[in-house]
Amino acid sequence: MKLTRRTLLKLTGGMTAAAAFGPSAFAGGMPAPFDKPGVKIALVRYLSTGDFFQAYLSGVEAQAKALKADLHVFDSRQDAALQADMMDQAIALGVKGIVVQHGLTESMQAAVKRALDAGIKVVAFDVNVKNPQVPQVEQSDRDLARLALEQAIRDNGESFKAGYVYVPGIAPLDRRDETWQKFKKKYPGIQEVAQFGTLDNPIANSVANQARSVLQAHPDITVMFAPYDEFAKGVKIAVDEAGLNKQIKIYSADVSTADISAMREKDSAWAATAATNPAVVGEVSVRALAMLLAGEDPGHNVIIPPTLITRKFLNDNDIRNMEDLAKKMPQFAHADVAVPKWMPLPPRG
Amino acid sequence: MNDKKQQDATGIPAAGRAKPALSGIDFAIRYGFLILLAGLLIFFSMATSGFASPRSAVFIFQSVAITGILALGVTFTLVVDGFDLSIGSTATSALMLSAYVLVVWEMNAYVAVAACLAMGALIGLVNGLLIVKTKVPDLLATLGMMFLLVGLQRIPTQGRSIATGMHLPDGSVARGTFPPEFLALGRHRLDFFIPDLIPLSVVILVVIAIAVWLILERTRHGRLMYAIGSNERAAALAGVNVARYKIVAYMISGVLASIGGILLAARLGRGDIASGNNLLLDSVAAALIGFAVLGAAKPNAFGTAIGALFVGILLQGLTMMNAPYYTQDFVKGAVLVVALVFTFALTGRRGKQ
Repeated sequence: MKLTRRTLLKLTGGMTAAAAFGPSAFAGGMPAPFDKPGVKIALVRYLSTGDFFQAYLSGVEAQAKALKADLHVFDSRQDAALQADMMDQAIALGVKGIVVQHGLTESMQAAVKRALDAGIKVVAFDVNVKNPQVPQVEQSDRDLARLALEQAIRDNGESFKAGYVYVPGIAPLDRRDETWQKFKKKYPGIQEVAQFGTLDNPIANSVANQARSVLQAHPDITVMFAPYDEFAKGVKIAVDEAGLNKQIKIYSADVSTADISAMREKDSAWAATAATNPAVVGEVSVRALAMLLAGEDPGHNVIIPPTLITRKFLNDNDIRNMEDLAKKMPQFAHADVAVPKWMPLPPRG
Repeated sequence: MNDKKQQDATGIPAAGRAKPALSGIDFAIRYGFLILLAGLLIFFSMATSGFASPRSAVFIFQSVAITGILALGVTFTLVVDGFDLSIGSTATSALMLSAYVLVVWEMNAYVAVAACLAMGALIGLVNGLLIVKTKVPDLLATLGMMFLLVGLQRIPTQGRSIATGMHLPDGSVARGTFPPEFLALGRHRLDFFIPDLIPLSVVILVVIAIAVWLILERTRHGRLMYAIGSNERAAALAGVNVARYKIVAYMISGVLASIGGILLAARLGRGDIASGNNLLLDSVAAALIGFAVLGAAKPNAFGTAIGALFVGILLQGLTMMNAPYYTQDFVKGAVLVVALVFTFALTGRRGKQ
């Protein structure tokens, strides 16, 4: 109890001082509570399997390290009820702030409310917790889809026959779908002759089987819009197997080291992808939380802008992996989002 | 279920049991599923353009090659009245292992294939020993193995997929690639009247299916396995080394699952982390549908192959007709239920007559 009161005192003191002198007046340049190392924060995850979530975690860890914060990771592995329980565990642990990564609105809304009532700051990534006190960190899925589709139109003109890979009910895919529907209205020459998609594991293999059937039924398709990289991988396998890799172009969203090598293969049909760097998304999530803890306002919607990555760019710059990409594409390595002057940034390789 | 099995799994081929004149219901039991399959083929050929073509037929075989091979493996364990829940994760572990050998250790395709087969055999051996020696029930032992493998395959890469150019935990870059001779396993196509028609994976499926059929139906070992499945005690009293046959069944299952994983890796060209649960469910479904083919009412190689094809044809046809994925799951489930009714209700009635 004593400890809490002392910390609280420090926090209030820090905030008053911050108002008086500005953040730079502090030792080490950091406002309370980050003027002392070891601020306890938690990451409560719903999804964790896969390259994207692994990279997201590495971003969270890197930014927490730069802030010298004490990060605790709770991983509910797609168990919504467990994720809500983990919020309570984090509260019991006495953390100062929590990043909620994915989850279901229904189960997290109340849990987030409990944390806020306990005086804990919360930011949410890709889950709408419907609370004005909680900043929502998002990668802009609509922009992702827009960038990829604009490139498709630059490459293929305003009318083409397209195959579309989509599974409804997945929030980011639904948001990407909105953009696709808008594009189809805007460009009546785009003809969607087939829609397919599955999340059966391993996704790429299942999608490849479907795409093979689709290509058999519609051999005149020239553009495949697969706004999720696992989908794109599957479509690419099918296109290669059908020997149509010179006729068809694939446009997707998201990127990973494996995707980069697939895009760079000889005569690869995978023309472009739009992506935000998941590690950057992780860093921004922690920075937004740190701003809240320091008494600043990161804004209600913290949006990380996506980048367009074309096959040509990868080849021209001989990019082999995510690290190369970050070096050659500064806007991909770092997002100028939630960066007040005092914020320490993770080192860049 | 057990008494039925005892009648039907006597080791006498199904044809030998047929009554002189086939009644209507017998005919339905024996040929109903094959007729349904033919009906589906005709329906899809008329409903979609491009379904009825040699290439389309090859796609179907290719799409079921991996689950088909896994299903043939699980058939072995079903024959000895066991079950292998770990085949899906064995396959994805082989996928990761082959990628690790090729990309991280930069060894050649032969080492990768040998390592995967050895791993499959080892997993089967452990499964078999758990079940036979420590008396853990088959479902539970293989369930445990499934979880163990799902976790194990992620430990070396800290949960990431394996691809050329990835950063290793020690900071270096993985430079190995999937060599062409490995990728050929999943991608090379043989000429068969039409150039570049039949993928190697399909050839592997057909060879394995014929081999499994021969072992189970035409050798003493296969009949002893059926005997163990129908009455383990009787088989043991008759002098069969039950423990050894059971362990061998799980080892075959593990090896076939790892072959499926190798083909998957060769097709994907990368080490994707995946739980393999769908592979498990699809292949178990194929093996169970197989019970109904020709009224066998027992696990059998021919039925398993037809079961896998049946699911493949349905999915290919539905996808070509733009049916969304959830209807495909629904149809898959419906086929399975119908097949199980064929097996248990209709065949059961015949047994009582």
